[in-house]
Amino acid sequence: MRRRIPQLVCGFVGVLLFVLYFSAHPTAGAINQLILVEYWQIIFAFTLILGAVGFARVSLTAIERGVDRPYRIAGLAGLILMPVLAIAWGIKGDSPFMWVFDNVQVPMQSTVFALLAFFVASASLRGFRARSVPAAVLLASALLTLMARSDIGSAFSDYVPAAADWVRNYPSMSARRAILIGIGLGSLTTSLRVILGIERTWLGGGGK
Amino acid sequence: MKLQSRHYAFLGLAVVVVAAMALGFRPQIKPSPETTRMYQYLESLPEGSVVMVSFDHEASALPEIRPLAAAMLRHAFSRNLRLIGVALLAEGTGVGYGLMREVADEYRKEYGIDYVFLGFKPQYIAAILSMGESIPATYPEDYLGRPYRDIPMLEGINTYADIAGVVSIADGSLTTHWIEYGNNRYGIKVAAFVTAAMVTTYDPYLSSGQLYAMVGGLRGAAEYENLIGIGGSGARGMLAQMVSHWYVILLILIGNVIYFRDRRKGRGR
Repeated sequence: MRRRIPQLVCGFVGVLLFVLYFSAHPTAGAINQLILVEYWQIIFAFTLILGAVGFARVSLTAIERGVDRPYRIAGLAGLILMPVLAIAWGIKGDSPFMWVFDNVQVPMQSTVFALLAFFVASASLRGFRARSVPAAVLLASALLTLMARSDIGSAFSDYVPAAADWVRNYPSMSARRAILIGIGLGSLTTSLRVILGIERTWLGGGGK
Repeated sequence: MKLQSRHYAFLGLAVVVVAAMALGFRPQIKPSPETTRMYQYLESLPEGSVVMVSFDHEASALPEIRPLAAAMLRHAFSRNLRLIGVALLAEGTGVGYGLMREVADEYRKEYGIDYVFLGFKPQYIAAILSMGESIPATYPEDYLGRPYRDIPMLEGINTYADIAGVVSIADGSLTTHWIEYGNNRYGIKVAAFVTAAMVTTYDPYLSSGQLYAMVGGLRGAAEYENLIGIGGSGARGMLAQMVSHWYVILLILIGNVIYFRDRRKGRGR
């Protein structure tokens, strides 16, 4: 029964949302609105609580065991500080919450993201080599694209940007389309399996 | 610590970027057809048209997103378009509101009359679908807590049918959801300003017409600044990116020369 009821709820909601999505009837629109605005947001709030509790438990356990203690303490401090600032002074305009966001979170995230440039520099020197024919093709495509995007290509020949455009518009686009179609078919199949109760791994216990 | 080849590569990158920025060399950037299409799209909208700008990005992409968003907002405000700002990722909220306010002040635009910021709504798919049914029901009040119905600019705006289009400013796959649900389900015209890494992801949608126009990366921002004739941080950011690309090309060539030389000597793997 513990597994049957969630399966029935999931199947019912899945079919209902499918019907509502394709229906233009005003009542269907109103029900859709209710589910999207109210129920979905409530579920989201619970997932946030679940995430915060999970993060706190994992961090506290690690602190107890002495694993990555300073980082865990900093993470927990952030988890506590931000809601406190938000509740006490709000999250708008010049609030302390926004000050911390603008002056701590934004620079930290941008810094981590910027480090990618150094990884790319290291990888281009040590790893990006024409060891085989496929690797050589990949390398040539990457060089063409880089040269075209940084204007160095047009200094050599007008064919370089044209070749880079060809790579982007034909081989790259074809591969991307194939991946998108694959994702679409995979999502459709998985959704049907969940709605029909064939796929049960989301209930836990490995689908048994 | 003994310096290794990668350390020299890191150091070289830092030197190249700092030197290029210090010299202030300005690259000549020719607008691409994709960027020109976006420019023409915003140019084609009659004055007073309402456009929804969705800040669908995180803080990590700000160095690339900010010039893109600023160029788009400057063009829109200079054309006297009215803008509704929303954010479908929490981190885009503060950034989006701050940027809109900053650029609106440059053009002396008034909040509630020329632009409004509705704020963040969690669960992006639900939010996009919900706005298709009713924007006031999705956002009963704006970011500043003013009731939707009390904001003069929003009078008569109830669904996507009442706005000219959506411009998604994104660093990830959120624009896909605007296309799949906003465009396919409700027929709203979707355009996007995206980070360079996402350009090829959206190429199929652009090619099929589901995405009406797209501007990508710092290069796109610099091209757009050129088109609107207003300077911004796009061209400067593009300079750093361009010299980094040159440097990476050089490193790839050096790496391969070393590899083939070693292989010829029988030491290559």
